[in-house]
Amino acid sequence: MTMQTSASGPPPLSRRSLIKRGLLGGGILLLGGAGFLGMRSTRRGKAPPRPLSVLGEDEYAVVEALAARIIAPAKDAPPLDEVAWNVDQLLAAADPSAQKEVKQLIGLFESALAGFLFGGRITPFTRLEPDEQDQVLREWQQSRLLLRRTGFTALKTLALAGYYSFSSTWAYMKYPGPPKDFHDPSAAVWKGGGQPRPDSPGVFKAEESEGTFPEVEAATATDAGGRHAP
Amino acid sequence: MSDRVGRIVTGDELTADTEVSAEVCIVGSGAGGAVLAHELTARGLDVVMLEEGGYHTRREFNMDEAWAYPNLYQEMANRATDDLAIRILQGRSVGGTTTINWTTCFRTPPRITQVWRERFGMAALTDEVLRPHFEALEKRLHIHEWPLEQINQNNRKLWEGCEKLGYDHKLIRRNVHKCANLGYCGVGCPVDAKQSMLVTFLPDAVEKGLRLYANASARRLEVSGSRVTTVHAEVRDPATDKPRGVKLVVRAKVVAVSGGAINSPALLLRSGLDQGGKVGRRTFLHPSLVSVGIFDEEIAAYSGAPQSVYSHQFIDRGPGKIGWFTETSPIHPVVAAVSFAGFGEGHRELVRKLPNLNAVVASLADGLLPDEVGATVKLRGGGDARLSVHYDLQPSHWEAARVSQVELAKIQFAAGAKQVVTLHEAPVVMNSEKELGKLDSAPWERCRTRLFSAHQMGGCPMGSDPATSVVTPELRFRGVDNLFVVDGSIFPTSLGVNPQQTIYGLARWGAQFVAGSVA
Repeated sequence: MTMQTSASGPPPLSRRSLIKRGLLGGGILLLGGAGFLGMRSTRRGKAPPRPLSVLGEDEYAVVEALAARIIAPAKDAPPLDEVAWNVDQLLAAADPSAQKEVKQLIGLFESALAGFLFGGRITPFTRLEPDEQDQVLREWQQSRLLLRRTGFTALKTLALAGYYSFSSTWAYMKYPGPPKDFHDPSAAVWKGGGQPRPDSPGVFKAEESEGTFPEVEAATATDAGGRHAP
Repeated sequence: MSDRVGRIVTGDELTADTEVSAEVCIVGSGAGGAVLAHELTARGLDVVMLEEGGYHTRREFNMDEAWAYPNLYQEMANRATDDLAIRILQGRSVGGTTTINWTTCFRTPPRITQVWRERFGMAALTDEVLRPHFEALEKRLHIHEWPLEQINQNNRKLWEGCEKLGYDHKLIRRNVHKCANLGYCGVGCPVDAKQSMLVTFLPDAVEKGLRLYANASARRLEVSGSRVTTVHAEVRDPATDKPRGVKLVVRAKVVAVSGGAINSPALLLRSGLDQGGKVGRRTFLHPSLVSVGIFDEEIAAYSGAPQSVYSHQFIDRGPGKIGWFTETSPIHPVVAAVSFAGFGEGHRELVRKLPNLNAVVASLADGLLPDEVGATVKLRGGGDARLSVHYDLQPSHWEAARVSQVELAKIQFAAGAKQVVTLHEAPVVMNSEKELGKLDSAPWERCRTRLFSAHQMGGCPMGSDPATSVVTPELRFRGVDNLFVVDGSIFPTSLGVNPQQTIYGLARWGAQFVAGSVA
């Protein structure tokens, strides 16, 4: 069994000092700050379709680039156009300190300096060829350092949530979507105040609990396999 | 119905700073708080409840994950341990986790109450004492066994696999009434068939005078001497979930913290009530592994009652080893996509097999070995909105993880799976039971395979020893005479079964102490 933690040999001093700082909430993320050492800048793609709430345009471009490799949609898949924008929307609802950490992580992931310290590479992620980008993703994913694996988990989750939360992906996944005719968007909302509780399909009143149970009510809309009627 | 008129008040209705008083203030509307509120209002007490999440009902339960996670889950379903090794699924709306759980009910196992009596001094907590509480709850919440002919294909695979292997397997009892077997319990029941707190004890208590404030986030308890006097809350905008600059202040004779594991310790810590570092320690998560089986036939694991079969074959593995219990997980698109192993083409091809996938889960019963300390909940620096959950998983956890992953795959192959894959980032793909050995050489480390927690327990353990317990055997917070903790955070260990019914039972039992404290 492989034990917790990582290094089979002592890492170079520079890396070791980084590791000790920890990832989220630690100083290493500051490495992701823009523009150091005059290294090459982020390659931007298309401009965002709508104004961004949390991400800067460079960060947006990084998310677009990594989402393309993580999702790798087949030819019949819905396009990736809105993924980075959707990630921005997901982040907009998060706590400000979480937003800041994600922005720093994106910067670190793109950063030439961090790329150099981690893997001797001086090109930003967005300027790499697709197979090189996959290699960088694998390095983070399979890293001996927990903090890089944590970072990979965060970036992967963001990209996948940004894409697969669109219902336009359902057909692609052969997911039929929720059953029809059960959700009632006009159902009454009860707030007490002396008003009687409205009727509801499943409501089970306290008084009923005094009796014995009826046998389980085989739901009319289901078959024995638990699949709802189309 | 009492003379007192109860109400559910949402954040949009509170436009100016508000101060209310009550005999009891309960923080949290989940399994613990709701049952407690019902018991107290039934005794004629004047109760105010604060719930941080929104008031969401079947009117909004559209069975779409993209709506449900931001509205019904803690941290938009992104709550996790600090290293992201364990994703923590926990509810955050009126009804708490009961609004989004999978309706699985177990009484507290006698082996657990025995541990709590013998190792933690909970001498009064016998199965005989709890029985009448469980019986009453089972009636009100319509808890009954789900019939074999109604189980879905996902659960049938677990049933058949266990049957072939001669493993223990039984039907699960569920808190549902007129269940339409849709399969969307985890995103809010659209037909109120789930007998969650949202549709049972909370409205029952409101009819008895409970004033329930939704979108009201308790930030701090004010303590004077050995008494808590006030609960300070901030009101959030239901539309944006952001604070709207309005304060809600509750003055009460007695306060019960029922925010659940993780959030209850956090509120106490924000209030400076750390009991010398005990609060937040001994948090247990039932860390869970998932095994994905690929079948030729359609499974449709998104459809039908999500959990109806369980196996306790490996719950007791003898001294020094961590046991686990086996159930299924429904598979819905978003959570599947973010959980599946790898990235790129391999990930995509698995996602595209969604209808043919089966998921079985092993949940580790953590906290029962003498040397286990569990996870620790702390506040993060730089503002009080975020928490830290740190879980340093030990070799004993990883041993159980590895062996359970083998057993899950065996069950799936026995049930006819063509292929079984794990959630390792470097995917482990097995085409028959002959390849189970791949799991021995797979990496068992944080963020190399995916773990989940659907059950959060502990952090304010009950017990008789002041050195190790946060609340007394009467659930009183040590050092503060009129402060109680009533939720899953009082468990001294994990349970080895799904916790909702135990939380209901302890709250119903513990209500006597809270009521008795109202002078």
